[in-house]
Amino acid sequence: MEYMMTSIGLSLVQGFVLLLIAPLVAGIINKVKARLQKRQGASIFQEYFDIAKWWKKATILTPYTGIIFVVAPVVYFMTSFMAATMVPGFLQGQFSMGDAFIFVYILALGRFFMTLSSMDAATSFGGMGGSREIYISVLVEPAVMLAILINSIRYHSTTLSAMVIDYNEAFFTVSTVLACVAFFLTMLAENSRLPVDNPDTHLELTMIHECMTLEYSGKLLSLIHLGSYLKIVVFLTLFGALYVPVEIPLALKVLLGAILIGIVETLNNKMRLFKVRVYLGAAIVLLLLAIIAE
Amino acid sequence: MDFMIISLLVYLLGTVTLIWPKKAELGAHYFGMLCSVVASGLVVFSTLRYLLTTDNNWLIDLAWGSYTLQADGWSGAFLLLTGVAGVIISLYAIDYGKGYIGSRIRALSGLWNLFLLSIVLVLISGDAFTFIISWEVMALVSFMLVYHESEKKKTVSAAYQYMVMTHIGTAAIMVAFYLVASTAESFSFVDMARNNLTGYMKDAAFLFAFAGFALKSGLMPLHIWLPNAHPAAPSHVSALMSGVMLKVAVYGFGRFAFQFIGMDVFWYGLLVMLLGLISAFLGVLYAVMEVDMKRILAYSSVENMGIIFAAFGCGMVLYSMGMPMLSVVAFTAVLVHAVSHSFMKGLLFMSAGCVMHATGSKNIEHMGGLARKMPYTALFTLIGSMALASMPFTSGLVGEWLTLQSYITLAQQAGSPEMRLLVVFAFILLGLTGATALGCFVRMYGIAFLGRARTHIVEKAHEMPFFMLLGLGMEAFLIVFVGLMPDYLVNLMQRVVSGTGIAPMGNPIGIIWGGSGHYALYSPALIFIVFVLIGVFMVAALYRSSTFVTKDVTWNCGTVPTSRQQYSATGFSKPLRRAFDGILNPKRRTTYLRKEHAYFGRKLHYELSIPDLFNDKLYKPIQQMMINSSSSFHKIQEGSVSIYIGYTMVAMIVVLIWGVLL
Repeated sequence: MEYMMTSIGLSLVQGFVLLLIAPLVAGIINKVKARLQKRQGASIFQEYFDIAKWWKKATILTPYTGIIFVVAPVVYFMTSFMAATMVPGFLQGQFSMGDAFIFVYILALGRFFMTLSSMDAATSFGGMGGSREIYISVLVEPAVMLAILINSIRYHSTTLSAMVIDYNEAFFTVSTVLACVAFFLTMLAENSRLPVDNPDTHLELTMIHECMTLEYSGKLLSLIHLGSYLKIVVFLTLFGALYVPVEIPLALKVLLGAILIGIVETLNNKMRLFKVRVYLGAAIVLLLLAIIAE
Repeated sequence: MDFMIISLLVYLLGTVTLIWPKKAELGAHYFGMLCSVVASGLVVFSTLRYLLTTDNNWLIDLAWGSYTLQADGWSGAFLLLTGVAGVIISLYAIDYGKGYIGSRIRALSGLWNLFLLSIVLVLISGDAFTFIISWEVMALVSFMLVYHESEKKKTVSAAYQYMVMTHIGTAAIMVAFYLVASTAESFSFVDMARNNLTGYMKDAAFLFAFAGFALKSGLMPLHIWLPNAHPAAPSHVSALMSGVMLKVAVYGFGRFAFQFIGMDVFWYGLLVMLLGLISAFLGVLYAVMEVDMKRILAYSSVENMGIIFAAFGCGMVLYSMGMPMLSVVAFTAVLVHAVSHSFMKGLLFMSAGCVMHATGSKNIEHMGGLARKMPYTALFTLIGSMALASMPFTSGLVGEWLTLQSYITLAQQAGSPEMRLLVVFAFILLGLTGATALGCFVRMYGIAFLGRARTHIVEKAHEMPFFMLLGLGMEAFLIVFVGLMPDYLVNLMQRVVSGTGIAPMGNPIGIIWGGSGHYALYSPALIFIVFVLIGVFMVAALYRSSTFVTKDVTWNCGTVPTSRQQYSATGFSKPLRRAFDGILNPKRRTTYLRKEHAYFGRKLHYELSIPDLFNDKLYKPIQQMMINSSSSFHKIQEGSVSIYIGYTMVAMIVVLIWGVLL
């Protein structure tokens, strides 16, 4: 019992630590993008200021919305936070409250509420975002399942802490490299980054995630953004801990991963919506090969 | 006196409403529903009492000539879900059934009791004859219930289609029983377990049994009756058909797999698994395309039965690979998902009934903003939708998670590349299914309950009467209860599976609901506590602050938004329709109604239909073949009496010559 309480405590501390650094990581990604585009760019701490600014602003609700509209950002933020307490890595020990599948389904809960809320404001924009989000998530899900499958075959467990990459066993094998590349591709799609979604624009032709949140303002908007930043950090941590077969400290992996995202986002355009199935199909094929090679 | 027998008698008493005097229709309805609530309550009570005690006697053991009633743990698991669904849906029907006053309500109540009685009898029958008779009564009574609103043309065709399909299934099951019983030389289940079927006969028996039960549970490609029959029936009947009757087929298949045929042949399990997985994905893909609320739910039933059979097949494969201990996880997943699906599908069919009651329509394209008109219904429907999208804290995830665990177990045992490929295929389909189910129920709930009213039918919507809400609330409570504390149900079902004798009692992979260890684990209650504690803190922080909340119209590029500008259900699923158009083959037709305005203000008429793949590719050709073959018979069957007399004479002469020659 005492062990359990300590473990839960450590998980929560990890969640808060990741929450604190999340805007910083998002700021680093933006800074990398700005420098690569020969711009000065905002400070890497800009996201903290943004969140504080939104938090201070008034929240505007449209008269058509109901309780779901207010609950959804809270649930979305909470699912990212719960995911942050569950990833293996910094303080997370053997104990966890759920395994890899639960991790996936917790994040799905956030998506469930966000897509619901997108329809609550009663315009075309929200529904468009929700519809596209569902489309992307249907294509991402098999890749995520296969990514879980490969590590659980290798380590005979579905617990995230047991699935952490073992450098003695899996150091630069065909299987680990393929899985690493494929998970990175999946991660970009899951976190609504380029080339699948563009986090910078509000144009209705390009946007997916941003489009769902179009009607939000004030505190609710800051919760959504904080949740999104946190989700990127969580996925970077997961990527580093489970799939990068190089023995360097996890914090460095997260930092390098963030920089890599910045580079990839600079080098790529957003692809057409219906090309995404080819993109994620490629990720699935890579994972399939990795599983066969395992 | 056994409670089970009393409950059967009470159900029988409830059928008295069939001959109740017409003047007191409402009394007949109340009496019928009272009987079914009491009888179902007794079923739950006696089953729980049996399942919770450890001694391994029969739940019921009676013989009457060659007819026997015997029930063991496997029956008990299904009796439990039947009883619970019976109580809750009957309570709901107290108010819902009132809509049928003046249109054969006495028959509805009487047949309702008879339907529940026949389901219970199927589950407790101890020999092939009793089973087949009760099965047939179940089929006929459910046909009559589907047929109830026979004023509608669609209902009649759906009911007859159901009738034909279910009888094909019954025929297959009868053949399977005959094959097993012929070697056992007895029709009693206990004796039939000692059959010595081998080789092709065993394969044939398995295939017939699987075909028969798969048809009844709506596995693809034998599902075509299901999306027509469920929407045609009154809502409480669809709730019972989908929540319980489909599971009875799983019960029957389990009887065959565990007791009569065995699971030692690898390809039996493989076949069940593949059909299950394909049904799961295609079922939900069709569900996300539908705009009729009840058809969405019907296709979602195909999906969930697919998941149940996928888990069943996984268990059979594991068993045939010599790992009975591991197969227990898969069979536990079967039972847990069956129970939880009966909760969630019962709930959602009932809430579809509420929506129909309130708006008079099943088409979600005409709705919108129902949550404001009927808040309690909306809350319960949200819980049901979350469960069907297998979200955390609902029972849906428990079954889904156990299924995924059993597939992970299979993956870890799979050494050869072929098995690896199979497992990859399974995970791809399970992943697609899970995500599409999320989309499907987000879409259904979001379009119908959120946003603004799309047509005026929503304006007259109102909250439901007490008993209807009670039914919804009870199912929602069970879903959340099982979702937060799954250990009770899972342990109970695991004991049932061990009781069937496939593996000794134990905790095979160490499913720990909150604890430590290198095993798979899930502790929903713990997650929920953390979730709620921090969530409440967040909400408090949101509301505590001094900044105010303003109300203003949705931003719409400077114009005032109309309710027609909301995304439609058809539009919402458009990306998916396009991504999977190879499977779905959508047929679109756009016609311009007015030619005079070339570009602006012209009226469009857009038609979209997504024909069922199997209907077009499988059933239509068969139907065409039958029509062609009968028209070729038409040449010798002219209908004139003299020709028939001629045939008789020719036949007579042939027989005489035959007799003389031999």
